Amino acid sequence: MHSLGQRVPDEDQKIGSLAIEDSQLAAAVLAKDRKATAEFVARYADSVYGYIHARLAPRYDQVDDLVQEVFLSAWENLGRYRGAGPLEAWVMGIARHKIEDYYRARLRAPESIDDPDQIPVAPVTTSDIHDFLEQSERRKKTWEVLAQVSDQYRFALIWRYWDKASAREMAQKTGKTEKAIERLLARAREEFRGRWNHGQ
Amino acid sequence: MASEHDERFMEKIAAVELTESEPAPASLKARVYSGLLARQAETGHLESLTKSYARGHDLCVFEQLVRISPVGETAKSLNICRVCHARVLAEHMDQPPIYWPGCPYVEFKRS
Repeated sequence: MHSLGQRVPDEDQKIGSLAIEDSQLAAAVLAKDRKATAEFVARYADSVYGYIHARLAPRYDQVDDLVQEVFLSAWENLGRYRGAGPLEAWVMGIARHKIEDYYRARLRAPESIDDPDQIPVAPVTTSDIHDFLEQSERRKKTWEVLAQVSDQYRFALIWRYWDKASAREMAQKTGKTEKAIERLLARAREEFRGRWNHGQ
Repeated sequence: MASEHDERFMEKIAAVELTESEPAPASLKARVYSGLLARQAETGHLESLTKSYARGHDLCVFEQLVRISPVGETAKSLNICRVCHARVLAEHMDQPPIYWPGCPYVEFKRS
C-alpha cells in the first residue's frame, strides 16, 4: 500500500515493513502525529470525496464542507475505532451518516409545489430500460435526469434506491410519516421516469 | 400499477452505482489536512517532530531545521505548517509551485 512520506525508520521504532496498518495509523493520528494525519487524509480523501460528490450532485457547493466535516468527525471519534474492520470502511460509515444528516435536513423542509420545469409524464412503456446502454452511459443519463428533478426528489431517490434506506427508516429520520415518504417517493419516481423517457 | 412499475424501474436504474472514482482535488486535501492539524492543536501540542522522525516519516526542510535545533520538545511540537507559505499555496491551488520532499502539501498534489 502506498504510504505518504515514509522513509526507512529506525529499526527499533519500525511500525510496518511496507505501510502503516490501519490500527497503527489510527493510533498515530490519535497521538497527533502530523505525518500520520497526512497519510490518513491521503488514503481516504478520494473515497470520501467520490461518495459525497456523487450524493450531492449537482449541488457541488456543499461537497468540500461535508468532506471536511467527515474528517473532523473521524478525528473526534477515532478513539472508538477498534480495528475490527478496515479503517476505510469506518471512515465511509461516517461519510454515510453525514449524507443522511444532509438529506434529513433537506427532506424535513416543506416540499416545493411549483416546478417551473414541469414536463408531461411519459406513458408507461415496457421499454423504459434500454439494456443496451453501457453502464457509463446509463450513469451519465441517470445524473442528467437526477439533475433535472427537484432537490427533495433527488435526495429521496438516492437515499432510498442507492443508499438502500427503507421508507420507514427515512420517515423516522425526517420526522415524517411513512405514508408521506411513500407519497414523496411515488411522485419522485414518476417524475424521474417521465424525464428519463422524455429524454430518449 | 404504475407505481409498481416505477418501483421496478428505479431498482433497475439504481443497479448502476452513482459514485465515480474521481480523485479529490489536491487543494481540498490540503484544506482537510490543515483543518485536522488545527483541530488537533486546539487540544494540546502535536506529537514532536523528533518522535515523528523516529517513526520513520520524512520531514520537510523546515521541519528538519526545527528538529535539529537546540530547542525543547515543546517547540518541536508546534504546528509550524500554520505559518508556512506551502500550506497557503496548496490550499488555494491544485498544482502549487512547491516541490521539496517531505512536505504533505507537496505529496497531496501528486496523489
